[in-house]
Amino acid sequence: MLELQGVGRRFGNHWAVNAASIKVPDGQFVGVIGRSGAGKSTLLRMINRLVDPSAGRILHDGREVSALRGAELRRWRQTCAMVFQQFNLVGRLDVLTNVLMGRLNHVPLHRGLLRLWSDEDKAIALSALEQFDIAAIAAQRADSLSGGQQQRVAIARALVQEPRILLADEPVASLDPRNTRVVMDAIQRINRHYGITVLVNLHSLDLARGYCDRLVGIAAGRVVFDDAPAALTPSVARELYGLEAAEVLDGEAGLEPDGLVPATA
Amino acid sequence: MNRPSAIRAEAAARLPELRQRHAAQFAAPLGRRLATGLAIGGPVLLLFFGLWWIDASPARLWHGLGQLGTFAALMVPPDFGTPERLQIYLHALAETVAIAFLGTLTAAILAFPLGFIAARTVVGQRVVHFLSRRFLDTIRGVDTLIWALIWINVVGLGPFAGVLAIMSSDIGSFGKLFSEAIEATERKAGEGVVAAGGGGLHRIRFGLLPQVLPVMLSQVLYYFESNTRSATIIGIVGAGGIGLHLAEQIRTLEWQTVSFLILIILAAVALIDVLSTALRSRIVGNRVAPA
Repeated sequence: MLELQGVGRRFGNHWAVNAASIKVPDGQFVGVIGRSGAGKSTLLRMINRLVDPSAGRILHDGREVSALRGAELRRWRQTCAMVFQQFNLVGRLDVLTNVLMGRLNHVPLHRGLLRLWSDEDKAIALSALEQFDIAAIAAQRADSLSGGQQQRVAIARALVQEPRILLADEPVASLDPRNTRVVMDAIQRINRHYGITVLVNLHSLDLARGYCDRLVGIAAGRVVFDDAPAALTPSVARELYGLEAAEVLDGEAGLEPDGLVPATA
Repeated sequence: MNRPSAIRAEAAARLPELRQRHAAQFAAPLGRRLATGLAIGGPVLLLFFGLWWIDASPARLWHGLGQLGTFAALMVPPDFGTPERLQIYLHALAETVAIAFLGTLTAAILAFPLGFIAARTVVGQRVVHFLSRRFLDTIRGVDTLIWALIWINVVGLGPFAGVLAIMSSDIGSFGKLFSEAIEATERKAGEGVVAAGGGGLHRIRFGLLPQVLPVMLSQVLYYFESNTRSATIIGIVGAGGIGLHLAEQIRTLEWQTVSFLILIILAAVALIDVLSTALRSRIVGNRVAPA
């Protein structure tokens, strides 16, 4: 169980996230939705502690992870893997080494630094790559891959961490529709097959509805919606997205009678 | 927790088939390990051979350290002598900074076009590229001190020779650094300019220059600081500045004055460093990536 208690983060005078409280049971697939700049990224980055909360507590199975430091913090980060919008791979290294980065917290320091991976580590990495149909490119350099392939490598890296939670920050925002599906299916597989809790930031409501068990809506740093996808009515969507609503809802029939003009751009 | 280890157990169960399918990934990279070992061991061996060859011994170093201590003791407290001498020293220090500034600036101005000519990505001509690179190598191959000795014979003793010396050696360095900065730029921006109907010069002006200018400026600032130190050395051979006084005081064993001179040179270099760091962060822009 991951629990956020009144978590907030301030940048200067601006609260990017303000008093957010949610409880996520193990194995849930949670979509975090909201317009750009609403605070979705900051929320996820606080859970992984890439950003430290200015207020509130983050608990995992009763342990306060927002207070961890040093080796304990690194162990926590291994437990909650992160996937980024821009993939964040090391472009000059080959795919397999990139995936093996996910094992760093499992191996002694000198083995990691000298790249002395055990056969077991290699097997875990290759097994992950095979699950996402990219084992054939294990020897290629990461910067030679397409966006969809890179994101699958990043998800493989996250999986070999043996995480309990997967945090995905806009994982498909840089991808075309076909790759969007491939990548979202990969994340769904991790959730279904291994029971790993998933928190994913999504801009598109269609995707959020299609994949998530539960949606958390954020507007101006505050949690304004927290329910099953079916409960997300057009009026709630409008509150969440403002003028962007027509765009993210893809001109759904429910919107036009309310007098909202679909975006044409 | 037993759930995460499902990943490990699954992989362990599939190890034989994975090993078969991806034999290359499991093969112990003996050749590469050997190459890495050689790449590290070779230079280390060379280092020890070199130390043996020049007869470097800890005993000699230890003995010499005592001497160093004696000099250090003679240097306290730093003393500049009479106020008239102080004025002369400060004037000489200003001259040194001026030599470094003028030398660096002229070198940068002259190297600017050379950098573009020597960049493979700007001038496609292989011959031009080769010749300009070799030209830059040649003038860089001659050290500032040698240039100073040459220019003293051409224009006579004094700071002018110093400026020319710094300029000559730095044209080579700047030319190389600039051309490498230009070659390392992202080409997409230039493509955008060309696609909009821009010509070759437009591509350089808008696709290249905004990317390389901050890099060039920060290199020039670093060289200004570094050349202030070099200008001290070339003063010793008579190319103007505080180096002449420093050499003189060492010759006459006036250690307290020597330490004073060293201290004001250090202060000047530190001041330039602080100023150039401030300028550099303004130019390059130390924006923090948004969270």
